[in-house]
Amino acid sequence: MRLFTFHLAPVRHALALSVCLAIALLTSACGTSSAAEPDPVLRVGAIPDQDPEVLQRLNDKLTRHLAAELDVKVEYVPVTDYTAAVTAFRVGDLDLVWFGGLTGVQAQLQVPDAEPIAQRDIDAVFRSVFIANKASGVEPFDDTAGLRALAGHTFTFGSETSTSGRLMPQFFLAEAGLALTDFRGEAGFSGSHDSTVTLVESASYDAGVLNEQVWEDRLADGSVDLEKVQEVWRTPTYHDYHWVARPDVDERFGDGFTDRIRDTLLALDPANREDSEILELFGATRFIPTEASNYQDIEKIGREVGLVR
Amino acid sequence: MSRRATTLLVVVVLAAALASVAGDGDLLNTGGVPALREFFAAALHPRVDRAFLQVVGDAALTTLAYAVLGTVLSIALGLVGGVLVSQTWWRASGALPRTWVSRWLATRALMAVPRGVHEVVWGLVLLSVLGLDPLVAVLAIGLPFGAVCSKVFSEILDETPRAPFEALRASGAGRLAALLYGLAPLALPDLLSYSAYRFECAIRSAAILGIVGAGGLGFQLALSFQSLRYDEIWTLLAALVVLCGATDGWSSAVRRRCTGSRARPERDRVLGWLIVAAVALVPVSVVLLRLDPTVLVQDRARDLTVTLAQQAWPPEADWGVLVSLSLDTLMMSVIAAALSFAGAVLLAVLAARPADDGRTVARRVLGWCTRQALLFFRAVPSPVWALLVLFVWFPGPLAGALALALYNVGILGRLMAEAVEDLDRRPQRALLAAGVSPARAFLYAGLPTVWHRFVAYGMYRWEVIVRETVVVGVVGAGGLGRLLAEQTASFHYAGASATLLALIALTFLVDLTSAAVRRSGSARLSSRAVRSRSERAPGYRRSPRTL
Repeated sequence: MRLFTFHLAPVRHALALSVCLAIALLTSACGTSSAAEPDPVLRVGAIPDQDPEVLQRLNDKLTRHLAAELDVKVEYVPVTDYTAAVTAFRVGDLDLVWFGGLTGVQAQLQVPDAEPIAQRDIDAVFRSVFIANKASGVEPFDDTAGLRALAGHTFTFGSETSTSGRLMPQFFLAEAGLALTDFRGEAGFSGSHDSTVTLVESASYDAGVLNEQVWEDRLADGSVDLEKVQEVWRTPTYHDYHWVARPDVDERFGDGFTDRIRDTLLALDPANREDSEILELFGATRFIPTEASNYQDIEKIGREVGLVR
Repeated sequence: MSRRATTLLVVVVLAAALASVAGDGDLLNTGGVPALREFFAAALHPRVDRAFLQVVGDAALTTLAYAVLGTVLSIALGLVGGVLVSQTWWRASGALPRTWVSRWLATRALMAVPRGVHEVVWGLVLLSVLGLDPLVAVLAIGLPFGAVCSKVFSEILDETPRAPFEALRASGAGRLAALLYGLAPLALPDLLSYSAYRFECAIRSAAILGIVGAGGLGFQLALSFQSLRYDEIWTLLAALVVLCGATDGWSSAVRRRCTGSRARPERDRVLGWLIVAAVALVPVSVVLLRLDPTVLVQDRARDLTVTLAQQAWPPEADWGVLVSLSLDTLMMSVIAAALSFAGAVLLAVLAARPADDGRTVARRVLGWCTRQALLFFRAVPSPVWALLVLFVWFPGPLAGALALALYNVGILGRLMAEAVEDLDRRPQRALLAAGVSPARAFLYAGLPTVWHRFVAYGMYRWEVIVRETVVVGVVGAGGLGRLLAEQTASFHYAGASATLLALIALTFLVDLTSAAVRRSGSARLSSRAVRSRSERAPGYRRSPRTL
């Protein structure tokens, strides 16, 4: 019985070769990684709720600007998932992150002394929009109590940790005395604001809720069929997205570095063409200052809803 | 279990599952047809500008690299684990039967732990220990797959003829030496064959691991998916279909040459080169991902592991709720497994291309189309199926089951088609010669001989489906997946560890059930199996293995 004595010889050679290569690579990798941080890199991540693919794929505009203004190496780290972004921020693999309201709070709680440094002009007065399929029989209303009309209907949020697509809407639903069990079936999580619109438009869900900015945008480009879906209510305003920096960036990049990041972001000028391109990636006209106290409500509501522990 | 009892059990479980998931009122939603039409219409004008194709090309390479390294890791773990989980190894330890059996059972139960956790969940856990590192995705594929490999490799080792091994032991060779020289050579074709199958599974896994910062096609798909850019989604799906198609083709060739009925692996030059080609991808992948395993031994990883363990232990849950959600998940998985099994049997018969029958041109075209459809079904990740299903189906567990079924039909259908192709055609030819129609000849002389393999594939797949219920949250299906999503979103590690324990227990339960059903199926065939065993070339494998 002759088994694998000869014809698999090429396999053995290839294996030996790859082992050698792997060892060579490992030793070279060890050489570079064990050194201290002589030339620190600012690792930036951002997850906008609107057209995330545009920013993720055109991120070099942002990194180049930050690198030029701050005079440090800047690396953009693509992440699509907020939970993953919070975790990466906690373990120190992301230094500066564009978080949503809730995830920003989660990040600040997990990294003590992490500082919110800037928000967009629209984030100070952010709202969510409740929409309903016209065939569902839910008609527009004008106060929180009107949300009770959604009882007995199917309903979808956006993604789990979205402030505007989940947290604040759930808070207002609770204010109206509506529990998640009052909907027909389980409340859905469409995963994104755009999916929410499409799923309500197709009547897969009777009603849903999404971020005002995305809704306005979809109205403006005419990609919503207003014959099928209508806005039923807009929530009061709350604070939402903001940049958060790790507390150790000052230590790593020099005293006052957090302030320099803030200044760089605030200085983005919509009148300047290059700056406005960056602002556009975030759907912002300007960045404005912010502080931790702006998000106390979100933390409180997050605790009530069970998303902040 | 007798055959009748098994059938009865299957019917009862299915009926109970259907009753539990069928919601009130309508199921089909015609309102979503325009959305679905819009999605499929976009297939005609995918986004193909140079910039985007560049993105897609890079992403496809990354995905391939993750799959290659994940597979290598899982095979390495599987070889070590497989020996440790095999009865052969423990029996040869010289310990008393009572002692070795309990040790063997303990290691086997231990292997159910990594298997019960979906790759995406592994990804999130590893991320909080290793941070954003390419190793996260490699380990997220390699660890659970390593456990699966251990289980399957151990079964292969235990089924391999033991005479040379015993002879070496009797002449004084150590356990390991006897295993390497007496058992391993005989088991090698089967080990290779299964490893090839693992690689194609790894491609599909790598494609949905994008969310943990791993990059690749999954990441790009998640991005385009969030804003429903159908034109981009189609380009990315096309890339996935090509990648899956190529891997599946490679894996089919390897498996056919290792363990097919006409295989002669010991004389097969092509097989050697197919394997060299795959091995050559390993160093390329390491360079491409800039993999640096030293992060595993850094202090930060150790500290973060300790922190995570402290947060996750002891598990914390309302156990009553957990049991009821487990039942929901179990029911959803049963429906999904049953639907995909039924669909796969039908499509497999159409997709198979037996070697020697005179099929008409129309039949060949139909077969080709079915094979492409199956490839599409399995190349599209289940979260995408979930959204598509939701366009035309009202939310609920049934929608979740349907999405999982669509994805798994593609995998099961292909495996079953291979089983049909690999079938001994002589009984069918005898019937055909007697003037029986081809369809009838297959029903009476073909199907009965492959049915036990169909059942085995279906049962193995069921175990995978239980895990996959975690990734179809969009459909409002509830169950453990929903709970786990909520717990990870709120960083409630103690709760998540309880939910994961429930999922692991469920996986183990399904594993035991499916093993019992497979045994009852193969018992009936045992007399034939014994006979054919002596006729086959050494290394020919009787029972199918796929997970």
